[in-house]
Parts: sequence; C-alpha cells; structure tokens
Amino acid sequence: MWVRELLWADNVSFRYAPGAPLVVDGVTVRLSDGALAGILGPNGSGKTTLLRLLSGTRRPSSGRVLLGAQPLDRLSRRDAARQIAVVPQETELAFEYRAIEIVLMGRHPHLGVFTVEGPDDVRIATEAMAATGTGHLAERPFHELSGGEKQRVVIAAALAQSAALLLLDEPTASLDLGYQLEISSLLQHLNQQRGVTMAISTHDLNLAASICRELILMRNGRVLASGPTTDVLTPDNIRRLYDVEADVQVNSETGHTTVVPVRKVVRPSSARASEGQ
Amino acid sequence: MAVGETIVTRIGWKWRPALAGLLVAVAVATGAAQPPRRIISLVPAVTEILFAIGAGPHVVAVSNYDVEPPEVRSLPTVGALLDPDTERIIAMKPDLVITYGSQDDLKTQLTRVKIPFFDYRHGGLEHIIATMRALGARTGNVNQADQAARSLQTAIDAVRQRVAGKPRPRTLLVFGREPGSLRNIYASAGRGFLHDMLVAAGGEDVLDDIDKESAHISAEIVLARPPDVIIELNAATRLNEADLKKVVDPWMRLSSVPAVKNGRVIVLTGPGMTVPGPRVAEGVEKIARALHP
Amino acid sequence: MSIRRRLALVLGGFAIFTAAILTWAPTVGSTAISLARAFDRSIPWESNVDAQIFFVARLPRVLAGALVGAALAAAGVVLQALLRNPLATPFTLGVSAGASLGAMLAVTMQLEFGLLGITSIPLASFAGSLLATGIVYALAASQRRGLSTNVLLLAGVTLNAFFSALILFVQYIADFAEALRAIRWMMGGLDVASYTPIVAALPFVLLAFGAFAVMPRTLNLLSIGAEAASARGVEVKTAQRVAFLSASLATGAAVSLGGPIGFIGIVVPHLVRLLVGADHRIVLPASALFGASFLVVCDLAARTVMSPLEIPVGVVTALIGGPFFLWLLVKRS
Repeated sequence: MWVRELLWADNVSFRYAPGAPLVVDGVTVRLSDGALAGILGPNGSGKTTLLRLLSGTRRPSSGRVLLGAQPLDRLSRRDAARQIAVVPQETELAFEYRAIEIVLMGRHPHLGVFTVEGPDDVRIATEAMAATGTGHLAERPFHELSGGEKQRVVIAAALAQSAALLLLDEPTASLDLGYQLEISSLLQHLNQQRGVTMAISTHDLNLAASICRELILMRNGRVLASGPTTDVLTPDNIRRLYDVEADVQVNSETGHTTVVPVRKVVRPSSARASEGQ
Repeated sequence: MAVGETIVTRIGWKWRPALAGLLVAVAVATGAAQPPRRIISLVPAVTEILFAIGAGPHVVAVSNYDVEPPEVRSLPTVGALLDPDTERIIAMKPDLVITYGSQDDLKTQLTRVKIPFFDYRHGGLEHIIATMRALGARTGNVNQADQAARSLQTAIDAVRQRVAGKPRPRTLLVFGREPGSLRNIYASAGRGFLHDMLVAAGGEDVLDDIDKESAHISAEIVLARPPDVIIELNAATRLNEADLKKVVDPWMRLSSVPAVKNGRVIVLTGPGMTVPGPRVAEGVEKIARALHP
Repeated sequence: MSIRRRLALVLGGFAIFTAAILTWAPTVGSTAISLARAFDRSIPWESNVDAQIFFVARLPRVLAGALVGAALAAAGVVLQALLRNPLATPFTLGVSAGASLGAMLAVTMQLEFGLLGITSIPLASFAGSLLATGIVYALAASQRRGLSTNVLLLAGVTLNAFFSALILFVQYIADFAEALRAIRWMMGGLDVASYTPIVAALPFVLLAFGAFAVMPRTLNLLSIGAEAASARGVEVKTAQRVAFLSASLATGAAVSLGGPIGFIGIVVPHLVRLLVGADHRIVLPASALFGASFLVVCDLAARTVMSPLEIPVGVVTALIGGPFFLWLLVKRS
C-alpha cells in the first residue's frame, strides 16, 4: 500500500544553546497520513523537544523537517499551525479564561488580524468540544476544571485548529486511571473516525501499546528502535530503554499488548555509557 | 567682654553699675556664662541675621546652601536641613548651633554632648525682627541687634506708610512654577513672611484665606480668583528681554485675568527675595514699587 | 449571542460611559462656571472668564487625564499578558523610572530648553523613558531565543531600582526648592493648562495604540505561554517585541505628560477583567476606555476636594487604587 508521508524529520539534531549538549541527536521520524505513532522514552530522552521540532516551534540545529514536500521552517507560524496542532503537557493560564475561549483560541491561525470568530468558527469549536466530551463545560472557567477536563479542553482547542496533524506531549501524564482511559479512547476515536494523524509522546507503555500502531523508542536523544508496535515492544527493547526487565504479553481478547515491569536491571555505568555511543 | 565695655563707655559713668548688672542678668537668663564665640548656623536666613547683628565674625561654619553675605562662602559647610553632618558639627566644638525646628535628631545629639543650640523656624516678618533681638541677646550683641531690628522695622514701616490709603491690588505672589508652562504653580498663601511682605507692600493676597505659607494651585484658581497683579519671584540675578518674555509668556494664556490683560505680570529677580532675613526690607520695597509704581 | 455582537455591546457600553465622563468632567470644578457663557462666542475671549476656565484650565486637563489614563491602563494590560504576570504594571520594566530620572535632571539642573513649544521636563522625561526601554530591550533581546520574559522582568526590575537610586541621588544633591519640585513631579499632575504637551504626546500614544490594535488575540495566546502561542500560529518573537516596545512607548509618553501616576496600570485592567472576563479583545480596549475615565475622575477629585489647593493626582489614584487592590487580593485568595 502506498502511504503518503505527512511529516518527515530527516536526521534532525537540536541543542538549546551553543555548546550545550544535543537534546535530540540525529533523529529520523516519518509520520504517514493517518498514523498513530507513540514516542516512548524515559525522562530527558528528548521526547518533548522532538515534538517541538516536529511542530516547528523550534528549528533543528541540523537536519530538516518536511511538511508534505515543504521545509517546515519556510512556513510562517500561521501556515504551519493550520496543518499541525499541538497539545502541550500542561497548560497554565495567567488569566481566567472560560473553556470555550480556550477552544476558540485554536481558530487563531484561520483568522485575519481584525477578524472576529464567525458562526463557522463557533461551530467548529463547539464540535471539537462535543468530540472531546466537554461541551457542557464551555462556559466554565478553565482554572476550575479538573485535570482530565482541562486536558480534554486543550485537546478540543487543538482539534479546533482543524489541522491534519496532532502532536500530543504526554497527554495522560498527570491524570488518574479513569481519565487516562478516557483520553486514550478519545485519541483512538479521533484517529480512526476523523483520520487525524497523531504523534503522542508518553511514559506510559500500556497506553502506547493499546492505541499506537507504531512506536519510536528514544533514549538520550537518539532513536533506539522504531516500527510497528508489536515489533518494537519487546522485552529486550524495554530493557534497553528503561533498564527494566518486563513481561510483555498479548491479550488474546482485546488484541492489546500489556507490559508488566518485573525488576530494575542494575548495569555497570560503563555499559550504559557505551550504549549511548 | 569687649562689646559690653563699649556699651558701658558710651553710656557714661552714672549708669555703669546698673548696666553691668543688666548684662549679667541677660547672660544668666540665656544660660551662657560667656557669649558664644564659635557659632555654626544651619539656616541660611539666620546666618544673614547673625552677620547683620554683628555676630558674623564668630560664625565658624554654615550650611551647604549658605551664600550670603559673601563672607560665608569661604567658611566650612556642615550639611543642611535634611542632612546635617552631626559628627563634623560636634568635632568643630561650637558653643552655639543654629538649628531648624524640624531637626530633632540633631538637637537630641547636641543635647547629649552638651552643645547649646538656638532653635529657629520660619515665621512672619515680626518673627524675623524678634529673632534678631533674641539672637542679639544670645550672642551678646544686644545693641547692634536692636539697631538692626529697628532699621528693618523702620524700613518696612516706611513702605507701609507710603502705601497707606492707596488702593490695595489683589495680588498673586508666585515663587515656583514649571518653566515654560503654567504647571505646578506655587504661591504665597495666608501666612508667612512672603504674605507679610506682600501685605506690607500694599497688596491684598488673593490666597489670603488659605492658612498655609505656600499653596500649590491650578490654573483654574488663577482664573477663578483673578488677581490685578501677578508678582513672580525669579531666582536669576538679572533677566534680559528675551528671557523675561519667556518667563511671562505662559501667563498670556489667561487673558481674562486683569493682571494679564493690563500687563501687570511682574517678574522680580534676585535670589534674596525668598530668604526671611535682613534683606526682606529690600524685598518689601521691590514689591511695593511693583504694586504702586 | 455571537462573539461580534458581544464585543460590540460591551465595548459600546464602555465607550458611552467614558464619553459621558469626559463630557461631564470639564463642566465641574472648584469654581462654578456658566456653560452658556463659556460657549457664547459673542463675548470676547479676553473677558470671558467662564470660557477660559473651561477651555484653558479644565479641558486640557481632562484631555490629558484621558490620554494618560488610557495609555497607562492599556500598557498595563499588554505587559501583564506579555510577562504572563497579572501583577505587572507599566512601571515594572523601568520605563517610568527612566522617565522620572529624565524629569529629575531637567528639574534639578534647571534645564530650560524647549522644542516646538514643548518644555524641558516632558522632553527630558520622554528621552529618559526611551533610554530605559532601549537598555531593557537590548538586555532581553541579547538572549538567543526571542525576548526572554524572565530577563525582561529581571532587567526591568533591576533597572528600576538603579534609576530610583539615581533619582534619589540627583534629588539629594539638588537645591532644596528644586528637590521639592522634583518630588512634586513624582506625584503626578495633569494641570497642563495648555494643549501643546497633549498634542506632543498624542502621536506616540497613537502609534502605540496602533500596535495594540493588532495584538489582542495574540495577547490571549501569549498569556497561555510562548510555546503554546507558537503552536497556534503566533510569531512569538515579533509579537513580544512589538508588545514590549509599544507598551513602553505608551508608558513613556504618558509619564512625560502626567508624571508617574501609579495604580492605573494595574487597578483598571483587573477591574475590567472582573467585569468582562479575560479576553484581550475586550480587556484591552475596555481598559483603555475605563483607564481614561478613571483617571479623569481621580483628577476631578484632585482639583476639587481640597480646593483651592491641589491634591497630587497620583496621591488620589493610590488612595483609591491601593485599598481596592488589597480587597482584590484578599477576595481572590
């Protein structure tokens, strides 16, 4: 089957300041149309930075990111934002916006400088809220919402951006089990029903295993392994990724892969260092 | 007691014992066995008074702002109203310090080290004359102080007499303003020496009812209480035609004010106008000439 | 209700309120005047006291108050969004301290230059505000990635303290009378008694407002974070620069016209947010309008309450603004 590449990071590296260490080191990522990819890795492995490079809010120090056939950094932020939407890990507001206002901010790249949101924009925002099950929260102050509600409102805002690509940075990190489940089924639904292409960075192996069709494993800014979930999510890769022995099983009922961590592997530090080479 | 002796010599034999007794009484009353010989003045106006009553030679240091009479310009300076250099003042071993009423810290310090001080506050014209006499007694210059006080009184009275019975123009006496505009007008109000000077010179203060030495007023007040004469004190020693026009020009906006309409905005130059010392006589004279040409 | 309709209604309401205040304010004052006489063209100007009180003493004052109030309130809104800090004021970033230093130098050194009828103090204070803006901007922009709002805040606060020390030093070495005048200037004053300084400040305020006009939706996004704003299509670097420079320009022009009048830039935006929410498309213009009427009313109090004496208008805004702000803090926490 011929698959169009929507977003292609070609051997990108990034450091936050000259002389600082590379946070992303020679990474290549291909996101095809309709993909639901997970980016897995321990803290500080460069997941968030990679998402920033993919969304174009940061420019790679070397390498390039292509959106369709165009280099991403040639696009204005406005043009890029019409095609790529981002859900950040946390949203801290300086002022007390209502939920609907946050969602309407997603329409920003589609509006002219002096244009006020018209009925179409309101309809898109309302639909986005309905899709994330937050329609009833529209008039509530954002800061009064629970963690899961906030996250869903922010996802609605990203949906309202009407972009073909959605990049999510640890969308379930601060949520309890119930909300984690809610968000993951929402994302799966959006991907399958609306055809939104997604890349999700996460710590959560089981979330990744249950919804992502492909995985990118990152450690120390580099790609350790990538490919279809079932191929990549092996006990060996998990040990290399987290230094953890894990039990990987495929549930015959749901078809999901479950990962149960067993014990931490203690390795000599030299081995760990050489592995990063 | 050189001064005491000259007085006694002049007065003649007969009264000698009585006068000597009187002088001793004055000395005891003021608490000083010896008249002070090392005086430090922190108040420019009082420095001028000290020189006017003959105590000038005993002034050993003055404030940072003292410029009159010219003799003080070579004297050491020891701070001023807000920042008196207490250490330096004490180190100079004065036997009298002229302090301003609000210098409480300095006065406490002086009391602690037993240095006598003469406490002064600005007041009206009468107060200047009273201060002359009080300082005369305190410094052992009773006679000269009395003379200075009398000549000041005489000079002011002469002006009063001259203007008596003449119509008293309603006057605004301005002593501060933002250059080139009518912003932040400061004017003499219902009390204090500037007010007294204006009244003595035959004017009626338009801000008579404000019981303050100075008032910060808006342009509206000038329009609402239109003065017949506006006198503006300017610190410059002399203004040429162009500069004078620059100073007067902003007032022209208030053309409904009689003072402006009739060309009676008068600028009085000279830095001495705002010092409540012996030079107030000149000031009264100048204002009188401006009001009653 | 559509968003357009809501915007129009709320801003219309604020505009009508402000217009009413601005029309009413010059008719009252420490003196009773006859408006009929003031507008009677048949009475020669030279003898029409009512007209002169209205047109020379009051109207410029009201206009200056409106301009300064609008500029400070709007600059406060912009800086609060830029710094993502509701406690930021137009004076947080050192601009007003620079302006004050300029004014202090003009007062104490008795500089008496002028340009096109504008006097030395406003000129010097505007120059001071530009200097401070330039220094803070250069420091914050030297960061590799856009303006660092942290550096902006730190540089601004430090420069503020540094300039304040210089101000004290200049006051200290100044003559007594000059120091007093300088202190008075710091309390703010709108009794301009002439249209010239207003006309002089107007282009700069308008320029800043021109920049403000394109900013509201961007400010909404900046206030949820630079990264998020960038992901929603905001050119963050450009937006931050324009926001900082225009807010500084408005502040500099306002301070050089009326002195560093406090509290407007923080009380007004907060009050407006309480009334209409956080959307900058309403908050920014509504704050400008409400800032204008708030300062005009404060100045009305300043010129009438203790008449014939003036109360410095900065004292009035602080007396009203201080308790209000504390109430707001307690209520929020």
